[in-house]
Amino acid sequence: MKTATPAQSRASYIDPAALMRIKNLQLRAKAVVEGFLSGLHRSPYHGFSVEFSEYRQYSPGDDPRYLDWRLYARSDRYYLKRFEDETNLRCYLLVDLSRSMGFGSVNYNKAEYAKTVAATIAYFLTLQRDAVGLITFDQTIRDYLPARYRSGHLHRLMMCLEHQLAGTETDLGLPLEQVARTARKRGVVVLLSDLLAPVESLETKLGYLRSQGHEVIVIRVLDPTEVNFTFQDEAMFFDLESGRELYVDPQAMRANYQQRFSEHAQELSRACSSLGIDVYDLTTDQPLDLALFDLLNSRMRRGRQVARRRRI
Amino acid sequence: MGILVPLYLAGLTAFSLPLILHLVRRTPRGRQEFSSLMFLSPTPPRLTRRSRLDQILLLLLRLAALALIVLAFARPFMREAASLTFADLTGKRLAILIDTSASMKRADLWQQAMKQAEAELDQLNPQDDVALFAFSDHLQTIIDFQKEGAAPIADKPQVVRNRLKQLQPAWGATDLGTALVSVASDLVSASDVQQSSLEPQIVVISDFQSGSRIEALQSFEWPKRVPVVARRVSVTNPTNAHAHALPSEDGDTSTDVRVRVVNAADSRSDQFFVAWVSGEALAAGSARTAPPAASAVPLRTTGGLTPSARQLREEVAVYVPAGQSRVIRLPRGVENLHADRIVLRGDDHDFDNTFFVVPPRKLEATLLYAGKDAAEDPEGLQLYLRLALANDPLRQVEIRSLDDAKELALPPELAPKMVVVSQPLSGELPATLKQYVERGGVVLLVPRDDETAASQFALLSDAEVVGVARPESSKGVEEPEANHALRKGSWRATPRSGGEKYLLLGDIDFTHPLFAPFAGPRYSDFTKIHFWKHRPVTLKTAATTRILARFDNSDPMLLERSIGQGRVFAFTSGWHPEDSQLALSSKFVPLVGALLDLACGGGEVADSVVVSQPVTLADSRRAVGVSPPVDLDSTDAPNTGGLTPPARQGHVILVRTPDGQEKRLDAGHSAFSETDLPGIYRAKVGSTETRFAVNLSPAESHTAPLNLEQLEQRGVRFGADLTRVERIDRERQQRDTELESRQKVWRWLIVIALATLILETWWAGRAERQVIAGGSMSQESSRK
Repeated sequence: MKTATPAQSRASYIDPAALMRIKNLQLRAKAVVEGFLSGLHRSPYHGFSVEFSEYRQYSPGDDPRYLDWRLYARSDRYYLKRFEDETNLRCYLLVDLSRSMGFGSVNYNKAEYAKTVAATIAYFLTLQRDAVGLITFDQTIRDYLPARYRSGHLHRLMMCLEHQLAGTETDLGLPLEQVARTARKRGVVVLLSDLLAPVESLETKLGYLRSQGHEVIVIRVLDPTEVNFTFQDEAMFFDLESGRELYVDPQAMRANYQQRFSEHAQELSRACSSLGIDVYDLTTDQPLDLALFDLLNSRMRRGRQVARRRRI
Repeated sequence: MGILVPLYLAGLTAFSLPLILHLVRRTPRGRQEFSSLMFLSPTPPRLTRRSRLDQILLLLLRLAALALIVLAFARPFMREAASLTFADLTGKRLAILIDTSASMKRADLWQQAMKQAEAELDQLNPQDDVALFAFSDHLQTIIDFQKEGAAPIADKPQVVRNRLKQLQPAWGATDLGTALVSVASDLVSASDVQQSSLEPQIVVISDFQSGSRIEALQSFEWPKRVPVVARRVSVTNPTNAHAHALPSEDGDTSTDVRVRVVNAADSRSDQFFVAWVSGEALAAGSARTAPPAASAVPLRTTGGLTPSARQLREEVAVYVPAGQSRVIRLPRGVENLHADRIVLRGDDHDFDNTFFVVPPRKLEATLLYAGKDAAEDPEGLQLYLRLALANDPLRQVEIRSLDDAKELALPPELAPKMVVVSQPLSGELPATLKQYVERGGVVLLVPRDDETAASQFALLSDAEVVGVARPESSKGVEEPEANHALRKGSWRATPRSGGEKYLLLGDIDFTHPLFAPFAGPRYSDFTKIHFWKHRPVTLKTAATTRILARFDNSDPMLLERSIGQGRVFAFTSGWHPEDSQLALSSKFVPLVGALLDLACGGGEVADSVVVSQPVTLADSRRAVGVSPPVDLDSTDAPNTGGLTPPARQGHVILVRTPDGQEKRLDAGHSAFSETDLPGIYRAKVGSTETRFAVNLSPAESHTAPLNLEQLEQRGVRFGADLTRVERIDRERQQRDTELESRQKVWRWLIVIALATLILETWWAGRAERQVIAGGSMSQESSRK
């Protein structure tokens, strides 16, 4: 399980709590991404699409245009020289807007944080001229925007993110199936959720996507109290989704909770890694820009891993 | 142990407050929203045995403090004596005032009043003193309070009850003010003198009609310690109207009587009927039912007598809205000339529906005429006398010529009432006449001619005829003899032009009953009567003869002399055409009538009064003709100006009341005050009979209820209307208050409550410190 801690060494001057106070989500995204981009120019990102990928031995029927003539001159063997594809990216943002996302112990709740993340990524990808799609869901799919790159699309996306929380439970399977059905071309699927649901069904559905060649990034948005369970007083605990009430003494329950929570996290982590999916845990008290940096960083590493695997 | 203010015990419900707080403490303090409960399982409430014990102790302390404070507010005290009995009540001095005015005769008011009085007597305790008063227009003490030193009356309430049964409403008006004032001052002075601890109280049982007089309260400062309890009795059908006759206006010559019909303010009906009814006809018609004469109300709306067809025909309908009055003219036909009452029909209550009016007496008299002229001689005197007395429905006068002087010697009842003499007095006639006059007869001397005059005036021993006088030349040119001869047998209506010598009446004594009817300025004009011939008379010094009228040359025209019990009137000029125009004048008939009335004395009518108002029957002879000062509150009968008969000194006056009783008025007394029954009274003074009507006070007919606030405005203090049980409750409360204020248990309770609170604070502080210590420890551990 990867955490977002590496980014903490880098200085970030933008406080997410202050950003949340700005109402316009697009501006907010812009500020974050621009601040982020300023440190990115020196990174190897740009050379990515023109980079050499691999050599492959020529077999009859291959396009002779890709023959590496210099290698042929040296070794008198026909090899095709291959580069990374330069098609633009189709990215699907899956944002969980169920009521459990409405919980927050800081000034904002998980849903707002997740929306900001989604908006930021969407803005960022739009700047890169990539197509961005959006699915918001709870137990059903609330909004569906296919991945596009055109003017006004970002605005519609932002409007969809403005919608209020609803729903009584979280069904992660449905949006994943939807993406699997509609996105035929390989792309990136970013799932923003607290993933407070049984792991088994999730594993199957994520498997569909992976099998279609999509790259899946799971960003798990969590509230710090959900991780640490720092409640002090006993109280009736009220489930935001199901409305169930339970009398809990946190002091007595804490150890138990933490144990069960980490078990769930480990199971999730195991399932994802078996499918080659990266899981990032974002707690809402983390600065957003650092979180995004980690995300993109891991994406870059993923690309390298794939390249390495193919090379072997 | 008693509690003064048990209401404060409701504060014990505050006990639930710490209990609720305690329970609240045990339930989770708040509700925590959480994203998912999938990692949580329920935990049982964590309660340690020690903390529970702590809280219960605190709870008990707080409850104790609360209970003590509540108890302190409820003011507990230690009761010493057992419960109070009626005997422990402070006695009261109760004055029961019962309205016995005429308006209490309505419907079942009297029965209601009796019940109220009985109820009041039932509430009495043995130590109470009670007095019974009845009031109408005056206060009547039936049973007085116990006097100091007097032996107590055994079972006084029973005695009062017995006397109560004998009471009946009378006919008087309601003078509530005077009754209240005298009873209140009586109570206060009695309480002051006896230093009594009895609480004075007045209970008034009345219908409190708006006609009650309450003016007496105005000038009376109501004693604060005397409360009044008003017990009003009321009728279900309030419609009541009343009719009374008004005095005829000056100059009104018609026989119609003006009747004012007053309708009470709370009446529901506004159509009434007024009619003349004769008492005799009524008595004849209602012989079967035979009601008492006074209360014989002839026209009843319900049952009893029904109006006869004739009465119905002659009824006058009158429309009077509630609270208003109308004045109507009630024609008095010939057949109703002797009707003695005006009766109103159409309301619910009969007590005030009859108004008595003294009817004119039908005069039957014999008059002797001594004269030489024939009855039909136009030149004589007798013809005009007959004409003047004929066709009078009220006077039936037989005029006979004086043939036998023995007739004059008859006893006064049988003797002729008046003798008119126009012939010379000769022989035994003067002596006979003198005796006749001395026994009470009236002689009128009218000289036919000069020689007659000389002999006639001898009867008036202190006057003598000087000679025959004709008007002097200064009055005009002497009339030729021929003209005089021509004049015979015919009247000269107006003085001829050229100036005929004549005299006029100059000085007339209008205070005399003879001329009293002419006293008004409209009738006092005698200048149309010309006198051509008269016999000048001079009075001797110290003469007792009075001159009632003089000519304008100051010669006497009419003289009066009282001899014995009778009188002699003497004209110096006759009314025959030769002497004057008097017989032609409009004054002649009333003058003769007045003379006859004076002679007979039968038509004498005293003023109408209201019930209980005294009537002055006897008066000095000098005041004859002067109306007695009778105030009848605008209900003066039409016969004002009637005579109050002179009571002969030393005469016993017998008064016959409407119910047939005879009351004697001893010699020297002239005021008759037992007019306690409405109706026509007849007073016999010697041979003359005076009648007067006694009627209900018109105020009594204002039966609309009086607003009791008017009494309060005049200072009357109304007290609480408490029953015996309520009084004992009040007494108990008073004693408890005293007891409590002496013991002051509440102070100790407050002290203990304060101590408890201090203990509670200390204990709570200790518990708090423990909690804080525990809390900081847990915080530290969580920080680690």
